[in-house]
Amino acid sequence: MRCGEIRQLMPELSEGELHEAGDVEAHLAGCAACSLELARYRTVVMELTALRDVLVEPPAGFLGRVLAEVPDRQWRALIHRVASDDRLQHAVFSLGGAAVGATAIALLWWRAARRLTEGSPNPSGAHETETA
Amino acid sequence: MVSRELLDACRRGDPSAFEEVVRLTHRHVYTQAYRLVGDRQEAEDVAQDAYLRVYRGLAGFREEAQFETWLYRIVANAAITHLRRRRSFGDLLTETEQLSFDPAAPMEVAEETVDRDALARALEELPLSLRSVVVLKDVYGLSAREIGDEFGISEGAVKVRVHRARKRLKERLLGPAAAAAT
Repeated sequence: MRCGEIRQLMPELSEGELHEAGDVEAHLAGCAACSLELARYRTVVMELTALRDVLVEPPAGFLGRVLAEVPDRQWRALIHRVASDDRLQHAVFSLGGAAVGATAIALLWWRAARRLTEGSPNPSGAHETETA
Repeated sequence: MVSRELLDACRRGDPSAFEEVVRLTHRHVYTQAYRLVGDRQEAEDVAQDAYLRVYRGLAGFREEAQFETWLYRIVANAAITHLRRRRSFGDLLTETEQLSFDPAAPMEVAEETVDRDALARALEELPLSLRSVVVLKDVYGLSAREIGDEFGISEGAVKVRVHRARKRLKERLLGPAAAAAT
């Protein structure tokens, strides 16, 4: 193999595996320039791998913002907030009471309406009786 | 980094266990997101999205796969989703690889050693289409097939980009190749 062919393969060879190992190794053994070039590529790949542990510092408050988005935490935070704030507790109890009251009124209304419907003559029912 | 016991506690629905996972991994997740999208605010958005995916996916996470590798894939997926929204994905795949630096003018680094800050800067200067694949392949160790699956491109296309990126980085950091002997 010639230098040009080896150089084309260098980005791939830099991962460590030598394809067509015999030819490549034979060339590298006798060519200092290509050996140096491959060593440079390998240095870059090795340093890229090491970059995994070079951390970029997140902006201030990042962790808190992430944790605030955790779904269970959102519920827990809401419950905690209600439990620790008297005004919020009153508001929640008032809203809850209003909801229960509204449901009770709606139920009474519905029962009364049903009774009225059942008490009134049903034209179709009357027709059926007459027919019978 | 993250123990099996902690993951088991997460699966049992212990919210404090999940918070501990976030505490242990948030710097790595943010760093990966930043290296992929190249912007601090966008990296935070990607990290938030990634943790929601982790939260939802933990129940189905298979123990045999390394948690870190799984996490890297989730962050990569969240970043790709983000990049798709930010710009047309076609641009990302066929982006003109404009030379934002002159490969003939290597950075001032000592011969045959690579300063990691210089490497990080050189990575940031790479076009997105090259940077995203070389970061996932060489920094985070995903296979060409895994990266291809994430981007929806072939394994061969991934390899071509990785090789181009390595060549750019090598020339940027250590200069052009020495004259060929044969």
